[in-house]
Amino acid sequence: MAPAHLALLVLVLPLLSAAAIALFLRRQGVLASYVSVAAAAGILGCSSLLIFGGYRDFPASVEWLQLGRLTISLGVKFDDLAALMLFVVSFIGFLIHVFSLGYMSDDPARARYFAGLSVFMASMCGIVLADNLFMIFIFWELVGFSSYLLIGHWFERPSASAAAKKAFIVNRVGDFGFLLGILACYWLNDTVNLTELAAKGSAGTLVVSRAIPLLLFCGAVGKSAQLPLHVWLPDAMEGPTPVSALIHAATMVAAGIYMLCRIQVLMVPQALTVIMWVGTGTALYAALCAIAQRDIKKVLAYSTLSQLGFMVAAFGLGALKDHGGAIIAAGVGAAMFHLTTHAFFKALLFLGSGSVIHGCHHEQDIFKMGGLWRRMPVTFWTFTVGVAAIVGVPFLSGFYSKDAILYLALQKNHAVFGVLVFTAILTAFYMVRMWKIVFLGEARSDAAGHAHESGAVMTVPLLLLALGSICAGYGWAQPQAFRGVLTLIPQAHGEAHTIIFLVSLGILAVGAGAAWFLYRPAAEDSLQRKAPGLFALLASKLWIDEAYLYYVRKVQQRFALVLDFCDRVLLAGVIIRGTAGVVGMLSMGVRTLHSGSLHAYVYWFLLGVAFFWACAAGIF
Amino acid sequence: MAMMTNFDPLLLAIATPLVAALILALGLSERWAAKLAYVGFGWPAVIALWCWWGYGCEPQQHGYAFLHRYSTGLDGLGISLKLGLNGISLPLFVLAGIVGFAAGLYAIRSQAARLKHYLMLLLIMQGGLMGVFASVDIFFFYFFHELALIPTFIMVGVWGTRRPTENGYAAMKMTIYLTLGAMLSLIGLIALYVKSGAESFDMIELRARIGTEGLLAHSQSHIFGLLLFGFGILVSLWPLHTWAPLGYGAAPSSAAMLHAGVLKKFGLYGLIQIAVPLLSAGVTARLTIPTTYIPNFLLPTAWHSGIGASWVTLLAVLAVVGNVLVIGLTTIAQRDLKQMIGYSSVMHMGYAFLGVATLSTVGLGGVVLLMVAHGLSVALLFLLATSIYHRTQTFDLEEMGGLAQHTPVLAAFFVAATFAGIGLPGFGNFWGELAIFVAAWPLSKVLTVLAVGGVVISAIYGLRAAAKVFFGQPSAEFAKVIAARPPQDLTWCEKIPAIILLAALLFLGFWPKSLSTPLDAALNARPVATSTAPAPATHR
Repeated sequence: MAPAHLALLVLVLPLLSAAAIALFLRRQGVLASYVSVAAAAGILGCSSLLIFGGYRDFPASVEWLQLGRLTISLGVKFDDLAALMLFVVSFIGFLIHVFSLGYMSDDPARARYFAGLSVFMASMCGIVLADNLFMIFIFWELVGFSSYLLIGHWFERPSASAAAKKAFIVNRVGDFGFLLGILACYWLNDTVNLTELAAKGSAGTLVVSRAIPLLLFCGAVGKSAQLPLHVWLPDAMEGPTPVSALIHAATMVAAGIYMLCRIQVLMVPQALTVIMWVGTGTALYAALCAIAQRDIKKVLAYSTLSQLGFMVAAFGLGALKDHGGAIIAAGVGAAMFHLTTHAFFKALLFLGSGSVIHGCHHEQDIFKMGGLWRRMPVTFWTFTVGVAAIVGVPFLSGFYSKDAILYLALQKNHAVFGVLVFTAILTAFYMVRMWKIVFLGEARSDAAGHAHESGAVMTVPLLLLALGSICAGYGWAQPQAFRGVLTLIPQAHGEAHTIIFLVSLGILAVGAGAAWFLYRPAAEDSLQRKAPGLFALLASKLWIDEAYLYYVRKVQQRFALVLDFCDRVLLAGVIIRGTAGVVGMLSMGVRTLHSGSLHAYVYWFLLGVAFFWACAAGIF
Repeated sequence: MAMMTNFDPLLLAIATPLVAALILALGLSERWAAKLAYVGFGWPAVIALWCWWGYGCEPQQHGYAFLHRYSTGLDGLGISLKLGLNGISLPLFVLAGIVGFAAGLYAIRSQAARLKHYLMLLLIMQGGLMGVFASVDIFFFYFFHELALIPTFIMVGVWGTRRPTENGYAAMKMTIYLTLGAMLSLIGLIALYVKSGAESFDMIELRARIGTEGLLAHSQSHIFGLLLFGFGILVSLWPLHTWAPLGYGAAPSSAAMLHAGVLKKFGLYGLIQIAVPLLSAGVTARLTIPTTYIPNFLLPTAWHSGIGASWVTLLAVLAVVGNVLVIGLTTIAQRDLKQMIGYSSVMHMGYAFLGVATLSTVGLGGVVLLMVAHGLSVALLFLLATSIYHRTQTFDLEEMGGLAQHTPVLAAFFVAATFAGIGLPGFGNFWGELAIFVAAWPLSKVLTVLAVGGVVISAIYGLRAAAKVFFGQPSAEFAKVIAARPPQDLTWCEKIPAIILLAALLFLGFWPKSLSTPLDAALNARPVATSTAPAPATHR
């Protein structure tokens, strides 16, 4: 089969699955779930053929819309970067589909859930394969839509309905900038095709400006939930846990970073500086917030935000001279490397938390858990691997990818390096806190006391992801298919290597050690007891949500009401009805003249004669 | 297609509903009335789709396919019934067929009082709509519009969904506004007839005449102004829009579907088909209106730079600031579902006006795509709003909630229609908006930024409405309604028209080329708004 057909199949299979479920299988939840899983397996098969079959940069493009000078095409740009991302999406996507079979087995609206997952897979693969910015935007919007559907899966809960709405609207704010960036790029460079842009870049004819990359970055700020548009991601945890794992941890939220790597040619130094600081700020802010969370999924959500901040910061750090003296796009390499390892261990952690929540009968408060290591051994051990990977225990995947970012920061910007090291300490701190409170000690609620290990359909994906979380960092385990990206990863050598290694160990010792000694598996938060002021500050999340809420309720809504008043009362009422009223009054006045009384008419006649006479006589 | 030369599908599409209406008027039993109405609404839709299918293979004269001319006895005045379709009218002709069919199906199975008379009026409207977009002669273009407009007023006044006094006021306001708008545009069209010297209302002849003889620049400017505001009232250009939310709020659903979905597009269609190509110099000519009285800082930058104070700038500024932003924000404040849809429709017309103001093939093409997609989506929304009303007994968004638990299919349709309205890719609306945004950039970056900001606003009110109606838990009032009569999901009588509209939206979203190819050809066939019209010959 031609590679273009395979790529088309990757897009069409999940769409067909979604259409079949929506049209025919609405009430057949079991069948619907199998159809959707089969589609995910099909994607995995087709994309594996594409990735490992050695197909790269094959021509595949059809015209979608043609009006005047505007041509929008549906095309595929398949290089090593896209191959890596497609691998992450299809592999983790498939595992999460399988996990969902177990997790959603008692949900009455399973069909809708699996249709949503299929729509998501189609749109996410569309972003990965897209060869032009318009097409990225189209699928970008569609992942937002599927995210809306899946966050709002339990729509009868007001909180889920609000979270879905918030996610879509906040993303739209980011997309507002993104679309403007695309328009700017289109009019300044006359093309939005990624290959043509890259060609122009190497020919030196590319029009670069600060506006284009910064506007395009707005899209990433929305989708990858960077400051100040991060507010939707913690709320998005209202969705089912596998959705949080797939969309809000491993793939969709990483799409922002992937998109930045795709448009790397458009970057300018000033824009990179902004991107770097936004990422660093998000990493630090979210890590601080994570410390004070009680909900197992919220801890992971803030942790995701923080890790996304790492990736964005890595991208913003930009290029680096490697040891041969050549300049490599080390930012792209480090960001994509961390994206890949993060996809494994964060999907693992989320699915692990899903297994915990499923086992504890939908209890999500970590202080009501405890002692789970004995009752859920597979979940416990795989979760432990995930925690070890994210905190950077040596020789696990997270260790390598975080080191690459720290090394890059050390070489490029010491302030960023310092903040990221501190953030890494915090990461170790809050992850060990959660791990200890959830799994160790004694059960602190009936739900945790009656917890049971999940079935094979849920534990097998956990084991596979744990394997990935361990191996994804090893050079020998990384397929040659992704060489184009892997060679961009900055590698520390000599003295720098020693420094980074020692710093990593220090991070682990300080962060994990502090958490280990501070927290007890108890029903209350030790930090809250010992430092209530600090805890309250962290729990407030710096009142950013409150500020947005104030804006929406008190500013936007009131402004809208004022405009509504103007429209209804001033425009439709005073001006228009007023004009009509004046005309009406005039006509009433004129009507009184026509009284039908002959006397009145005679007087009017005389007045008229007098008037004309006066005119004729020149008195007026 | 040589054997088909004497067969005129367009005349058939116009005549079928009109003849059906006539038969209904002459008296027919209720049972047969419904059957005849199926024919009256179905046949034009079949013909429209057939014309769409065969358009590419049809021989064309002067850019028009299916061209036929019938003498009216007024040939001396240059008035004859000339029917044909070009790439601009084809999409709208198809729109009229599809929306008419859906609205007709919905009306036939509705529980309206005096159904026979209602169907008769709706059939007259349908005939007029098919005629508007099939007419090549401006006189009949205008005539068919009036033919479709008058039944609207009657339907709002008699079959309105509000209290009788409110229906009466809404009908009166609509009548005054729309008659005024039509009157202004009629003066403009007559002026065009006189000033061009073509002695004909035939668009083809007018275009040929103006192409060779030219038209004095200041005549062009005056005529364009008349057409702009005349058509502008009909399409609810801010601040001449206040009839729309009120009228649509009161109109019975099939009438609202046909008016907001199709008939309202008459004005935009007139601007694109007549005003922009024929009055190209007038569109961009500097206005002599006394801008000196307005402080400079109040005028947008586009006014100073670029094309200056022309009709186009005025139109673009009114469209973006008025329709998109002011009305968009006003929509957020609406509590009444039907009013909200009415306001959102006014807001989306802002994008369309902005597209007209770009004067480029991309922008005008985007407007036509948006007109078709918006027509389908707004018709679907009005239909669903009525379906919601039947289940909740209220249009007040604050008194609903949690309906999706009882009516999942209705919720799915409504969410789909909402997302179509807010321009999600996969639905036709997206292409129209995107093309307009692309085209607007060279016109004015500031206006483009503001217009693109509208996508956030429409997401806010659209999703808010969906959440208030369907998600969360029912309000106290609605819980009582549910207890008294548990809401049923969509019946097939509601589902079939909804499926027709949604399928058309998705088709356009996935395969926009099916409309954009003939559209592109028609817009490229003649230069759109070359700013240098041929030098004026003599001042007539």
